[in-house]
Amino acid sequence: MSDQATRVLLIEDNPGDADLVRLRLVESKSLVEVTCVDRLADGIASLGLNPPSVVLLDLNLPDSHGAETFRTVMAHSPDVPVVILSGQDDEGLALKAVHQGVQDYLIKGDITSKQLERAMRYAVERQALLRSLEITRKQQLEFKNQFLSHVSHELRTPLTCIHQYVTILLDGLAGSMAPEQNDHLKTVLKSVNQLHAMIRDLLEATRAESGKIRVEPRCISIGELIQQAATMMRPIAGERQVGIEIGLDNRIPLIHADPDRILEVLINLTDNAIKFTSPEGSVMIKACMIEADEDAVYVSVTDTGRGISPDAKALIFERLYQDPELIDNNRTGLGLGLYICRELVKLHGGKIWVASEPGQGSTFTFTLPLYSLAKLLAPVIVHEGRIREHIVLVKVELVPLSKTLHSNWREVWQQAIETLRHCVYLDKDLVLPPMGGSAAAQTFFVVASTDLEHSGIMMARIRGQLERNEELKTSAKLVISAVPVDLAPQPADASLDKQVQTVANQITEMIMASVAPESASPGNGHASSNSIRKAQSIQKESSKCPNRKS
Amino acid sequence: MPKPKILIVDDDPDLRRALRLRLRANNYDTVHAQDGYTAVAVAQKEHPDLIVLDLGLPAGDGFVVLDRLQNIDTLAGIPVVVLTARDPQNNEERALKGGAAAFFQKPVDNAELLDVIRASLTDSRVPGMRPS
Repeated sequence: MSDQATRVLLIEDNPGDADLVRLRLVESKSLVEVTCVDRLADGIASLGLNPPSVVLLDLNLPDSHGAETFRTVMAHSPDVPVVILSGQDDEGLALKAVHQGVQDYLIKGDITSKQLERAMRYAVERQALLRSLEITRKQQLEFKNQFLSHVSHELRTPLTCIHQYVTILLDGLAGSMAPEQNDHLKTVLKSVNQLHAMIRDLLEATRAESGKIRVEPRCISIGELIQQAATMMRPIAGERQVGIEIGLDNRIPLIHADPDRILEVLINLTDNAIKFTSPEGSVMIKACMIEADEDAVYVSVTDTGRGISPDAKALIFERLYQDPELIDNNRTGLGLGLYICRELVKLHGGKIWVASEPGQGSTFTFTLPLYSLAKLLAPVIVHEGRIREHIVLVKVELVPLSKTLHSNWREVWQQAIETLRHCVYLDKDLVLPPMGGSAAAQTFFVVASTDLEHSGIMMARIRGQLERNEELKTSAKLVISAVPVDLAPQPADASLDKQVQTVANQITEMIMASVAPESASPGNGHASSNSIRKAQSIQKESSKCPNRKS
Repeated sequence: MPKPKILIVDDDPDLRRALRLRLRANNYDTVHAQDGYTAVAVAQKEHPDLIVLDLGLPAGDGFVVLDRLQNIDTLAGIPVVVLTARDPQNNEERALKGGAAAFFQKPVDNAELLDVIRASLTDSRVPGMRPS
């Protein structure tokens, strides 16, 4: 950078200070080009137009103050080094700034031209170094992920072959076998299933680490998911003479979460709990609300096992953690299950923790956000501080013409909801998260800020767009209807929040009334085939007779 | 009624043999192909009732095969069940959009695979009479 001019963007509103800095820069005799602006907005514009080598930044500007100023600059141009020139000697603020990535914090009155020149030069070098480190880190992460994904794919091919021939023998397709041979083969199959589970966990953990897990929150009942998990895990628990109990607070409202992912978490936790519980013990899966936190439901899995030591508690959610006492006598997996649980819960905006006393069992608890229609509705039905005049509830029903291919149907209705989202105005209409199961007919609701007459236009648009999807057209019947929401005048003293809540309640009632027949038969097909497959393979891993006749 | 005929496409001869055993034991006839090019040729010659298709194949991968099948009128209606070691997250959607009837990752649960094969066959054998 010695023969190239250093381009300095000076963001400083005090003309005297600006002149002083310019003077210092000229004195330093190094080659600099200075652009000076006196407002943050102009600085941001200049950053976009002509990125400088370094930004010299005053914190108190007409349009921004304090820490906000450097945060804005760095959010806009994370790769440009920032040196703060401040009027006040505030060590706390200086440290905070450096922690957040500012390269230096200098006091205006104190600096000599040499110091300023040096600070700028080192800032540029440090920033370049950081950037290349960051690029290398990302490349390595990407390489590692590709490697793992490749390895797990390559491992699957021979594993599939072993699995196929073992099941051919076990199913008697190659002649009958002596009981002892049969037993040995079952042991082989059990190990194959364990290996399969490990490969799957490896890939899932890799995805979690690189942020590639997709979560599709819907409006679902945690109670149904718990029932489902318990039903899936009872056979395994039964073999170990461990009971599974369920405790459901029936006042729990619906939650906003991805049913497949939450089922995965429940199955992982329950499977763990069963492993650590001795015969005659029991596992309790519970969901409840607590008074101190009205926005979340608390889900817990409690065992009567031997508990977790305080040391282990701190590590248990980390990747590859394995209970040292268990490794010798039992193959349990890679130690990725709880790590995956934590990442999945985090993706839902919840948290997970464990409480345990050695010898007394353990309780794993996680939180999930409640489904709040009011929260989702507020941005679209409130306009200029008031509830909109007209609101219409549009109902879009997709009835599958054939109930054969489950995976395909899911694909079809997911495409449909994507299409729906493109048919509405984001600032005044809302496509509600899908409700309930994915196996049968799907009903979607759109809250539209319009009157009944105009909702006809929207319905025509929705129908037109959905019918352009060939697959949808051939696999489902489409029924679209609209009902206005009766907006009775609300008490004058009702707060806006309360008014929104009233409308949300009304809409909820309308939805409940219109889907009543389905909602009476809960539990069907919440989870996709994937998590069911996972549960089945867990069952097979620990099952003593994994032989399924086909 | 003659036995339904299934075309097994996989480049691993051991797996082809295993699938053949499994499907024949369940009263299906099978024909085979080891690469993408042969798969389309065998499909044209044999007119199978269903195709079990691997994705990672030499001479035209599974997606190429799907695409070719869709573009040959006499083959476009044959249900295709994808059976691959590849990751569903990057391939399932693409395969289903490309015309596959179902997607399975290896190793597959035999009972599940047979269920879907059975369902796909009943669905496609009586065109226009889909059970609702």
